[in-house]
Amino acid sequence: MTQKTRAAEAFLSTFLAIAAGLVLSFAFLPFMGINPLSSFGLLFSSMFSDRYTIGTIFVKAAPLILTALSFAIAYRASLFNIGAQGQFYMGAICAVAVTLGLQNRIPAFLVIFLAGLAGSLGGGAVGALIGFLKAKYHANEFLVSMMSTYVIAELMDYLLRTFLREKAKDYLQTDSIDPSTWLPVIVGKTSVHLGVAFAVAAALLVWVLLFKTQVGFRIRAVGLNAEAARMCGIRPETQCILTLFISGFLAGFAGFIEVNGMQHMLITGLDADVGSYGIGIAILGSANPIGILFASVLFGALKTGGTTLGQVSNVPASIIDLMEGFVMIFVLISYFVRHKISLSRTKRLLGKAVKHG
Amino acid sequence: MDQPVIEMLHITKRFSKVVANDDVSLSIRKGEVVALLGENGAGKSTIMKILYGLYRADEGVIKVDGVPHRIGSSRDAIRFGISMIQQNFSLVPAHTVTENIILGNCRGIVNYGQKEREISALAKTYGFDVPAGERVRNLTVGAQQKVEILKALYLNARVLIMDEPTAVLTPQETDRLMEFVRQYVQKGNSVVFITHKMREVMDVSTRIVIMRGGRICGTVKKEDADEAVLSRMMIGHSLEHLTNPVGGAGENPVGFSVRNLAIRRKNEPPLLENISFDVHKGEIIGFAGVSGNGQQELCEAICGARPVTEGSVVLDGRDITHLTVRQHIESGIGYVVSDRLRYGMVMNMSIAENLLLKESYGPKWKKHGLLDRKKLNRYAAEVIRRYSVKASDPSVPCWSLSGGNQQKIVVAREIETGKKMILFDQPTRGLDLGALHYVHKTILEEKAKGKCILLVSTDLSEIFTLSDRIVVLYRGKIAGIHRPSEVDAEKIGLLMSGYRKGEGKR
Amino acid sequence: MVKLLANALFMSTPLILGACGEVVAERTGMMVTAVEGIFLFGAWGGFVGAYLTKSLSVGFLAAIACGVLVALLYAVTTIHMQQNQVVMGTAVNILMTGICEFFYRVIFGTPLEPLTVKPLPVLSVPLLSGIPVLGTILFRQNLITYLTWVLVPAVLFLLYRTSLGLTLRSTGENPEAVDVAGISVSRVRLLAVLFAGILGGIAGAYYSIGDIGMYTTSIISGRGWIAFAICFLGNWNPLLALGAGVVFGTFDAIGVYVKSLGSGFFPSELFTALPYLLTILLTVVRRRFNAPAKLGTAYVKER
Repeated sequence: MTQKTRAAEAFLSTFLAIAAGLVLSFAFLPFMGINPLSSFGLLFSSMFSDRYTIGTIFVKAAPLILTALSFAIAYRASLFNIGAQGQFYMGAICAVAVTLGLQNRIPAFLVIFLAGLAGSLGGGAVGALIGFLKAKYHANEFLVSMMSTYVIAELMDYLLRTFLREKAKDYLQTDSIDPSTWLPVIVGKTSVHLGVAFAVAAALLVWVLLFKTQVGFRIRAVGLNAEAARMCGIRPETQCILTLFISGFLAGFAGFIEVNGMQHMLITGLDADVGSYGIGIAILGSANPIGILFASVLFGALKTGGTTLGQVSNVPASIIDLMEGFVMIFVLISYFVRHKISLSRTKRLLGKAVKHG
Repeated sequence: MDQPVIEMLHITKRFSKVVANDDVSLSIRKGEVVALLGENGAGKSTIMKILYGLYRADEGVIKVDGVPHRIGSSRDAIRFGISMIQQNFSLVPAHTVTENIILGNCRGIVNYGQKEREISALAKTYGFDVPAGERVRNLTVGAQQKVEILKALYLNARVLIMDEPTAVLTPQETDRLMEFVRQYVQKGNSVVFITHKMREVMDVSTRIVIMRGGRICGTVKKEDADEAVLSRMMIGHSLEHLTNPVGGAGENPVGFSVRNLAIRRKNEPPLLENISFDVHKGEIIGFAGVSGNGQQELCEAICGARPVTEGSVVLDGRDITHLTVRQHIESGIGYVVSDRLRYGMVMNMSIAENLLLKESYGPKWKKHGLLDRKKLNRYAAEVIRRYSVKASDPSVPCWSLSGGNQQKIVVAREIETGKKMILFDQPTRGLDLGALHYVHKTILEEKAKGKCILLVSTDLSEIFTLSDRIVVLYRGKIAGIHRPSEVDAEKIGLLMSGYRKGEGKR
Repeated sequence: MVKLLANALFMSTPLILGACGEVVAERTGMMVTAVEGIFLFGAWGGFVGAYLTKSLSVGFLAAIACGVLVALLYAVTTIHMQQNQVVMGTAVNILMTGICEFFYRVIFGTPLEPLTVKPLPVLSVPLLSGIPVLGTILFRQNLITYLTWVLVPAVLFLLYRTSLGLTLRSTGENPEAVDVAGISVSRVRLLAVLFAGILGGIAGAYYSIGDIGMYTTSIISGRGWIAFAICFLGNWNPLLALGAGVVFGTFDAIGVYVKSLGSGFFPSELFTALPYLLTILLTVVRRRFNAPAKLGTAYVKER
């Protein structure tokens, strides 16, 4: 059983799981009188219909990469940060506040830089706080991060209703930010902006951090066996706060790129599922930044295709949630199946060896 | 008439990587005490777990009272009167003795008062001093073992299997256990002892079955048993004799000392009280005592993993009492922990990464800000070679290594870290004779380098063989410090059980 | 004021129900992280059942079935396939969001006006409801609330006075002890999780057909998680969970009251956020000193 065959097996089973998930999602369309096969085909054709739509895949993937990285890095430390959505909102709030406050008063690139910094630090602060509560008070970070999302969402709505509200006061949103503060488009004739490049860079940086640095080594050690790490001089409490800070930082940065790169304003309910999708993608990518890159693009594609599908046919947009849910579950089941197969295979080989040996 | 109670015929059991039992046939008669002797991995636990229904054999037949039966679960085994007491007790610490004993043996609404009375009566019959309403976690290990035995008796067991029962007992408790075993088999019941300790075996067993490599390699009657012969049958060859120059180190300068160390808690008895001792360079201090009397806490305090209420720890003239674990490591203290799985290694990481664990701060393994993997792998390969670790390369995960090889990695790391002092906490627990021999050899080599060595062990023979001086801990206090030449196992056993100098056996 | 307290008890019911189910499951070592999905599918199923048959009873039965289905999916994947409980729970929750949304469309299309059902009626207990103050608070509730008050001591009795309860508790503390006693750990855990599914389904449906009489996507919004938190905060004891549930219900009720006063620059959002903030606060303040020892870990054994 060579490395190559094992990798090929992993790839194949993941692919089959994804396919199974997609097929099952479409299997219920006949109940609505819609032809699943043609819809399926429509899904793919609409994804790749034109240059702009293909670009949208990557634009949608960008924040997903970051929220997935956010969950993944915490997961590597055996921490569960379910609050990426809240940290995303916090990042968005900070970014938009800084942008609106400073735009046209100082050079644009400085505004962008400060907005990015503010957004990331805002998310990071929330993460660090959660980490601190866990380190000092043993508070369950799963629950705290979960609840923090709801709290921050309310905070965001409050701010949008009061301090950050648009001048027109029609909707729960801010004014549009000045075009000088938009993240520039980097691929012509698409909406692919600089934030996409940043997201990909972030994935690579996280990969290097986790696997090629001493800091990342310590994070992984604490995640795999915190008590042994403690005995070896690594303090799990410090790692906890550090890791959750980085986790929140990444999600907060996602908030920045969505505000300054895509939406160009803050609106209530912005990207309301980017947190939970991020978790799903992190799981699909086995908490590995490279896997996350691929999985994010996959989901970006499904989202794009699904939205377009919803526009050109009667297929409801919620099929995207169905697809994500089924794909996640099937991939997880595929891990189990593969494990079982490998166990029984080794047993069989052993039996053969005993007979001949 | 002389039909065996249990007959296991041609049992074979395979696990994912190994053949644990290879065509094993074993019988147990009434009134017999069978000792199943062998090293770790010999297959003795496996064959008994098959009898108890925890595992299912791939081939072979089990007969109870001459009739073949299928034992698919422990329930079946219990029905036939077979009970097993494992090394790790299957008790619920948070529950009472009564709750533990009736688990799975009651229906509907439970009258706890009545059950408690039943169990108290049962305990009295066998002379067990165990309060039926006490929570198991508050009992000593010896008492917990009695609860396990009571569980078996409550279910009318006639074949009692005990897996390494004396590993956690003081010499006196061991005697009491043997007394119980004699009483029990006199009533026509049978006992199977799984062990690798020969002394207790010779005491009470009627028949000794030796296993090695998944097969039975000999059966010896008690009368014909000889320790040296048994030992050779167990491991298949003789071991080189180790020389230990004991006692000379007293002239060397003191390298490490502890003064008035205490760890106190609010509203509870102190974990450590008034601990003072010196260790000379090149000296081995052996800590004897049943687990749970402060040894773990002392080790942790010395290494900085546990805060100290009072007292001082001085290494080479420097007070390290309140420094962090990392600072202790950097001062040159190595600590071979007793629980390798929980505190010693990160099993999912590779050999190379485990070697890095204590040195992940600082510039030693850094190159251009990133981990210098090449250098680390070279070092790991060197360790593998020097210590004859059975592994294909440094990147294999540590869970794939055998217990003995894992311990080699931990020892290698701690020898490197412990430039001035090394603590060995139960370093040979669970290891087979070959690995045990290797660890002893290593300890003596480090002693020869002039390091201060602390050895904590519940194995008295190990303590006696290696220590220059023996310290006995009881309930967090020092019960006595002696040279091995001045005392014998019985005296140490008394100190371990709390009898002070001058008191005799009750 | 009286109305507020009565409302508090009203709103605490589903939280207590969910928490009871969670307590039983967690006592066997299973953290039912799919609780949010169970609540959601229960709310959905309850509404669909009640709307299509015009009968609340059928609605609640449908909710139970839905809750059990979700619980079954979660149980099989975490117990028998030994997947990580947190990861699996999250996956299931995401899936259920999609399924509820999708199938609502499949069944009802996109109606112009929201579909409604008549919610649970108030069942005044004769005589007792006449007592001033206490009568209004305690005895003018609905059937499910009364049943919940009976359920709590029943679960307490089950846990501490029956052999099944002993088995349940032992499974969470040391599954090996239970295995060695010849009891199937998987079966015990499965049943416990399904029980949580039943109660969670009813709890979810309480929000849709018990309270507002309709189904919306944001009807649960983390309430399942609050029930989950209450289990923790109640120290895995049904009676304490009842207490904690009432506290949360009170805050919920206060929030509703304040919102009804209208909002200007006054942060009414603060009151919506209150239950969640309270959870965080209590999670920090309270330590898990009585958690079942093996909570959240899968039981694997070689055969």
